[in-house]
Amino acid sequence: MIFITGPLLAGKQRYIRETLGLSPDEFARRAVWDVQDLAAREPDLPALAEALSQREIVIATEMGGGVVPTDPEERAAREAAGRLSCLLAERADSVVRVCCGLPQVLKGTLPC
Amino acid sequence: MFTLVIGGAASGKSEYAELHVTRLTGRRIYLAAMRPWDQECLGRIARHRLLRRDKGFETVERYTDLAGLALPAEANVLLECMSNLTANELYDPEGGGEEAVLRGVEALLSQCRHLTVVTNDVFSGGVAYGEGTLRYLRALARINRALAARADTVVETVCGLPNYLKGGPIL
Repeated sequence: MIFITGPLLAGKQRYIRETLGLSPDEFARRAVWDVQDLAAREPDLPALAEALSQREIVIATEMGGGVVPTDPEERAAREAAGRLSCLLAERADSVVRVCCGLPQVLKGTLPC
Repeated sequence: MFTLVIGGAASGKSEYAELHVTRLTGRRIYLAAMRPWDQECLGRIARHRLLRRDKGFETVERYTDLAGLALPAEANVLLECMSNLTANELYDPEGGGEEAVLRGVEALLSQCRHLTVVTNDVFSGGVAYGEGTLRYLRALARINRALAARADTVVETVCGLPNYLKGGPIL
C-alpha cells in the first residue's frame, strides 16, 4: 500500500495520478482519499487502518498542525486523524508526503 | 548533545523521542511539564505513562522554572512538551515568561548528557487568531527557533516517521 499525506490542497491526488499515469476512473478504483474524515467516527482505529491498508493507494490530509481546538470533539477528531495516519504509515510499503506539489519519500521508495 | 523533535497533534512525536532516548546509554529522566488540570489531561498523562512503560524512564514533574531544577548528573533528559511549558511560564502566577523557558533549557543542557525536547507545530492552521492567542504563538515560535538554532539535530515527525531538518539520526 502507498500512503500519501500532506497539507490540504498540496497536490496529493494529482501527484499520485500523474506519477502512476492514472485516469480519473482508475484513480477512483484504486485509491481511497480523505480517510482522515473516517477517523473521528471510528471506535477501532487499528481495525480501520487494517481495512484501509488492503487498498492500493490511501490518501490522508494532515490535520494536526493548527492551534489545539477549544472544542473537545474537534480536538478528539484531530487526534484520531493523526493516530490513523501513524497506523497507516506503519502498515504502508511506501509513505510519501506531498507539500506544494513536491513529493518527499518518508518510507520505502517513490512509486513509479 | 541536543535533539529537538517537532510535530503536529498525534504525529508520533513522543514515540519517536522516547525511542531516540532509549538508544542512548545512561540514566533516563522524563521531565513532564503538563499540569494535570482535568480528566482529559489525566487521560493524556496515563497514555504517555503507558507508552514509556518498560523504557527505563524516571519521571520528574516540573511545571515552571527549569533553571531551578537539580537533576542527576550526566542523565539523558526528555522534556515534554514545550507548548505546555511555554503556557505555564506565560500564564501561571509563578511563571517567568519566555525567558524562563530558554534559561531552563540552558540549565538542562549544562547538566545533562543528552537533552531531547518535544515541541509542537501549532502554526499550520491558518492565521485567524485573536491577539491573546497570537501572543502565545509568537512566544512559542521564537522559542522553537531559538531551540532549533541551538540543537544538534532537529527532526519533524510526520505520521510517526522522522523527517530530519538538521543533523540526522543517532546511529
